[in-house]
Amino acid sequence: MSEYVLELKGITKIFPGVKALNQVRFQLRPGEVHALMGENGAGKSTFIKVITGVHRPEEGEIFLEGRKVEFKGPRDAQAAGIAAVYQHPTSYPDLTVTENIFMNHEIKKRGMIQWKEMNREAQKYLDQLDADFKSTAEMGTLSVAQQQMVEIAKAVSTHAKIVILDEPTAALTANESEKLYRIVDKLKDEGVSIIFISHRFEDMYRLATRVTVFRDSQYIGTYEVDKITNADLIRQMVGREISDLYPKPEVKFGKELFRIERFTRTGYFKDVSISVKAGEIVGLTGLVGAGRTEVMEAVCGITGFDEGRVFLEGKEMRIKNPTDAGAAGIILLPEDRQKTGLIMSWGLGRNVTLPILDKFIHKGLIDEKEERSLAKQLLEDVDTKAVTVFDPASSLSGGNQQKVVVAKALAQDNMKVVIMDEPTKGVDVGAKAEIYQIMGELAQKGYAIIMISSEMPEIIGMCDRVYVMCSGRVTGELPRAELAQEKILEYAMEKSAGKEATA
Amino acid sequence: MAGKSGRTISATPENVWKKQIFSWEGILVVIFLAVIVLCKLLSPNYTFVNVLREMPKYLTEIFLLFPMAYILMLGEIDISVGSIVCLSATAGCLISNAGVPFGAAAVLTLLVGAACGAVNGLILVKFPELPSMIITLGTQIVFRGIAEIVLGSGGSVSPTNMDGYRMIAGKIGPFPYIFFLVIISAVIFAVVSAKMKYGRSLYAIGSNRRTAFYSGIRVNKVIFIAYTLMGLFAGIAGLFLTSATYAANTTTGKGFEMDAIAMAVFGGIATTGGKGRMVGGVISAFIIICLRIGLGQINMNSQLILVIIGILLICAVLLPNITGSLRLKKRD
Repeated sequence: MSEYVLELKGITKIFPGVKALNQVRFQLRPGEVHALMGENGAGKSTFIKVITGVHRPEEGEIFLEGRKVEFKGPRDAQAAGIAAVYQHPTSYPDLTVTENIFMNHEIKKRGMIQWKEMNREAQKYLDQLDADFKSTAEMGTLSVAQQQMVEIAKAVSTHAKIVILDEPTAALTANESEKLYRIVDKLKDEGVSIIFISHRFEDMYRLATRVTVFRDSQYIGTYEVDKITNADLIRQMVGREISDLYPKPEVKFGKELFRIERFTRTGYFKDVSISVKAGEIVGLTGLVGAGRTEVMEAVCGITGFDEGRVFLEGKEMRIKNPTDAGAAGIILLPEDRQKTGLIMSWGLGRNVTLPILDKFIHKGLIDEKEERSLAKQLLEDVDTKAVTVFDPASSLSGGNQQKVVVAKALAQDNMKVVIMDEPTKGVDVGAKAEIYQIMGELAQKGYAIIMISSEMPEIIGMCDRVYVMCSGRVTGELPRAELAQEKILEYAMEKSAGKEATA
Repeated sequence: MAGKSGRTISATPENVWKKQIFSWEGILVVIFLAVIVLCKLLSPNYTFVNVLREMPKYLTEIFLLFPMAYILMLGEIDISVGSIVCLSATAGCLISNAGVPFGAAAVLTLLVGAACGAVNGLILVKFPELPSMIITLGTQIVFRGIAEIVLGSGGSVSPTNMDGYRMIAGKIGPFPYIFFLVIISAVIFAVVSAKMKYGRSLYAIGSNRRTAFYSGIRVNKVIFIAYTLMGLFAGIAGLFLTSATYAANTTTGKGFEMDAIAMAVFGGIATTGGKGRMVGGVISAFIIICLRIGLGQINMNSQLILVIIGILLICAVLLPNITGSLRLKKRD
């Protein structure tokens, strides 16, 4: 028996024009949780696809328990006991949990599917994971966290020896993540080896014993989690020094710039009042589903609301649609870059100038030269990694897409209030630092900033004041001096069993 | 601003000429020339003047192409336009026969068309979750139904006073009036879609409706205008069709919507939205018209002509897919 359950040596994978992996190596010990970290585009996903047999490497060898293997396709990897759980579960929403778990390996007798037995088996796996739903539930009715649990149950049902979790906590709330941690612990106790990809340092500290870092398609190193400092790890990932991840500048606040009063939409949120001063960064946190995004989308005229008033510089505003919000200088940077933030098939330049086309119109025609040069300026201001303004948005990494979203907001020079919804979701640590930097600079320039976020470290690191929401209501307000994870969580979960906005 | 690396981003477009020639529109021009040469070889009567003489009855359909291209760019569709042509032509004849002067009758014909289009637009904007295919399928039946009720048992109406209709069917030299109207409309529609805010909004909505909405584009207004324009131009087509056929009946404009969609798709304007250019649609419309006239001159069976055009359309849509997959295979 070899020391490692899985070992990869000298793996090189070439895509047309790019070396996605260059002589990469990796070693997985039996029963360990091994974190795989690196910036977006470092080659982690490609590497995972090599392990799961989706991609065949041009060079390199794969050893399973010391034996050399060659995967011709995903089926081979599955048969060898390797299962992967992706960030966005790739399931069949209209089928039941049981059907999803036993997809492609149904229990059959004489060609007939044994439903009763399958439901029972599936329920057994779910119980092992402490799932709070039935195996007969329809997949589409479950939350992302629950769907992920099904995927893990599926991995368990195939008796996988190696389970790969690709950014599993990205879409989860704090207590859902905690549940996932416990499941991972359980799998580990049962002798399963786990590869864990995440941008969150909390995940790594909580779970992993060792961490391997990739950068620019290359293997950088493998470290014991206990023995490497945060700063060292970031330096390995980014390739340069990031002195301070949360560069919170000291800003003297101005007058109150923005205030919403008693915002209510039946079934979504109730009596939400928030105010922001010029130069202040205000956090809006809570569990996913607490109604944070919904409130801000209502404020910006994207969805309707039943009651509520918006004041900008003391004056009451009537905002019926996003066009009104933009004209008033209330700019929302939406959470979902691909669906609501950018047009992925368009070039970066046109994305940036979409809200401000009026600026370039002379005699009814768009002056494209002027449009391009302003777009270039704005994209360079936020340091977007791109070659031309014509590069399609889909060609950029998550972090750079987010910078384009920021540039698009900055393009609107009547901007007064900036609402950033999960601005660093799926963004790697290097780009994260840059986005915080921009946020700080905006505060210094006297904008009012609202950041919706589920990530405790950035809420605590960047905010002057934090509102916590739970079940559609504001349950707490904390000044910077009192920001602490326990306190925020306490408010976030306070009334989850009590009054709801629907009541 | 933040952590400037001094990285610069280029804002200079690539060699424009090279791009134009190898674009789909460039290929269409080649196809257009090939069709002309082919027809010339097949038919000795295929001369410039003869083709122009036969053109008016085909040109009416191009009026439908322009706004249809906009609607397709939006990622929507309108299959009720054939019925709008019928209803507005019928209304025009009846209004004219009621003794209304031609000028006013013509304007009212267009207004009937625009009103029908506005109805489509209004339903779509109010119920964004309903697919435009189904809504306009409904109004297709309703509009033609109304025309059939009005036309009654005879199923046909002719203007008693043809003077006005004859006038708009006139010519300057070998060129019919309608030809100039088509060219002017084509230029306006092309410039609006390529260079103006309305056009950019069309592409934005067709590419990603939610992002467009979040970015402050007035999505409902843009959609409503496109459908109303569609109705208006169906009215124009109805007017000129009456002048070419001297009548409106229950089959007037039948299948026009599909011809307009075919011209647009052949021209590179995808039904999925956000793609293609007006220029391509116009060139492809002239390809189809010139081919029809040429094959008509050698007395080819008109059903067979439809089969040929249908096959051409499928090939045109497949071509980018085939070349695309070839390129992929080479890379693999």
